[in-house]
Amino acid sequence: MVHKKDMQRVGPVVWEIPSTFRPDMRVPVRVLADERLLDAALGDESLTQAVNASTLPGLVSHVTVMPDVHQGYGFPIGGVAAARISDGVVSPGAIGYDINCGVRLLSSAIPLDDVRPLLGELASALDAHCPSGVGTKGSLPLTAKELDRVCREGAAWALKEGWATAEDMACTEENGRIDGADPDCVSERARQRGRPQLGTLGAGNHFVEVDVVEQVLDARAAQAMGLQEGHLALQIHCGSRGFGHQVCSDFVAELQPATRRYGIQLPDRELVCAPIESPEGRRYLAAMACAANYAFANRQILAHHARAAFEDVLRGRVRRWELHQVYDIAHNMGRIEEHTVAGRRERVCVHRKGATRAFGPGFAGLPPQYRPLGQPVLVPGSMGTASWVLLGSAASMEISFGSCCHGAGRVMSRHQAKRTVRGERLRQDLEQAGVHVRAGSLPGLAEEAPQAYKDVDAVVEVVTQAGLATKVARLRPVAVVKG
Amino acid sequence: MTLGYTGRVPSSGYVEIDHTADWALRVHGVDLADLLQQAAAGMLALAGAVPVLDAGTQALTLQLQAADRETLLVRWLEEVLFLVESRSRLPVHIQMEIDPELHLAARLELAPLARLSRAIKAVTFHGLRVIDTSEGLEATLVFDV
Repeated sequence: MVHKKDMQRVGPVVWEIPSTFRPDMRVPVRVLADERLLDAALGDESLTQAVNASTLPGLVSHVTVMPDVHQGYGFPIGGVAAARISDGVVSPGAIGYDINCGVRLLSSAIPLDDVRPLLGELASALDAHCPSGVGTKGSLPLTAKELDRVCREGAAWALKEGWATAEDMACTEENGRIDGADPDCVSERARQRGRPQLGTLGAGNHFVEVDVVEQVLDARAAQAMGLQEGHLALQIHCGSRGFGHQVCSDFVAELQPATRRYGIQLPDRELVCAPIESPEGRRYLAAMACAANYAFANRQILAHHARAAFEDVLRGRVRRWELHQVYDIAHNMGRIEEHTVAGRRERVCVHRKGATRAFGPGFAGLPPQYRPLGQPVLVPGSMGTASWVLLGSAASMEISFGSCCHGAGRVMSRHQAKRTVRGERLRQDLEQAGVHVRAGSLPGLAEEAPQAYKDVDAVVEVVTQAGLATKVARLRPVAVVKG
Repeated sequence: MTLGYTGRVPSSGYVEIDHTADWALRVHGVDLADLLQQAAAGMLALAGAVPVLDAGTQALTLQLQAADRETLLVRWLEEVLFLVESRSRLPVHIQMEIDPELHLAARLELAPLARLSRAIKAVTFHGLRVIDTSEGLEATLVFDV
């Protein structure tokens, strides 16, 4: 267990657990938090898990802990760690089961005031168009060959099938396709789980949410993103469904003996890993890329369904009902990237689990409208509170390997939320507050109650104060669809 | 064992414990086969899995092998999850034997799934240890949800 006395304050919102804290640590842990968020992080096993993560071989610098951190399994949710290619490892559990879980934001020119009476209808249409719920199967079951194409091509497969626009692709991290995907590295069981589920939201904390742009804080960036105060926007939060879950499960199991074979000592079996350049490490990265591409295609198809819902409800009732992609980012991913380490450029594998990429201005992988500004960073809040749109900054490269927070972060257990919140009452409260809710499961809704999450505004204050990102706009939910 | 049974014997059963983001269970069993079955019952209870009781059952035989008790526990629960998600069936009665080399042989009576309230993405190895106690075995499981 980590205590506050074990940490040194090294900046206004930066706390360090030195590598001397425990003998098996290889690098320090740096926690980005204000006093209150730090207390929240100390309230569960988050920081012990971050210390455990710091024992992974080949890490080039500190493990970064985001202010929205919470306890996960093995590696904390809201953790970032970069491992050197030559002697470092890749750890599936440090990326997560929902590989390329992420968020997509679309903007509109629809004034809230013009559609306020239609929001309930819009929520129902989104619920009807976007398959959601536990174990949901989608409307486009894939053949084995089609699944292979999704694995290799990601959102580009959706473009060829008519589910996407060129603008969508340009405004998706890595253009919606990760290199190096090899479907031969994916198990038959993962294929069985993946084939029926493409184009589905799933359950848990995944959602489709209609927001209103409540406040613009960077007019130039907001204009580039198509975000206007008082107008609607749409967020989609989901990942690679059972396909990605199975890929991760397969490799966490496969790497149990491999970790021993490579002589790697770990404090938690969920952190099992293999050298990046080993056959096992390469196979995992190739399978992970398949799941990442599946997730890009999944969010793309859901965006298509959401557009259809908007058209069904709003065509002929408002002048413009189109949704334009702002950006799509992953927050559970391992990426091979080049970073400056001790003054030298070095290729590393950046593990981001519950953390997004947040590259600053000039990054060549950004579309032209964002290149001078930096990468859009999407920070969804809980369903009753705000969400934020940020821009990645140059400073994030040094502080966090170009990474930022991914949401509000849980502070209350699901068990406690179930005990203290009733789903039906919560739905009524949200409706009274002007948030139309469509939920597949009322107990599931209760587990995702706003009070189970940290204050997203405080989280965003920390990342901006730390220099990881700058504020562009604050969004407020008006309709939420949850599985 | 018929699933749904829990807690009548102090050394056998499961209890949900707090975890910030995911779900966790502490499971007790008089032996390894009992521990695995209690873990399955607890996991299905967490997921709110309800069988169709009057639709008849299908039998399924299952064989697994693992290098250690923890891996066998995870692999077994993954099999049950797969049956629920991909075949919409859940075990309502289980006969299980595990030999000292950790070969598991089980016969499952599967009923159609009537309802599933919550999704479990995966069974994790996080902090997982099967511990010998004076009354049998204990393990704490964390599920990714």
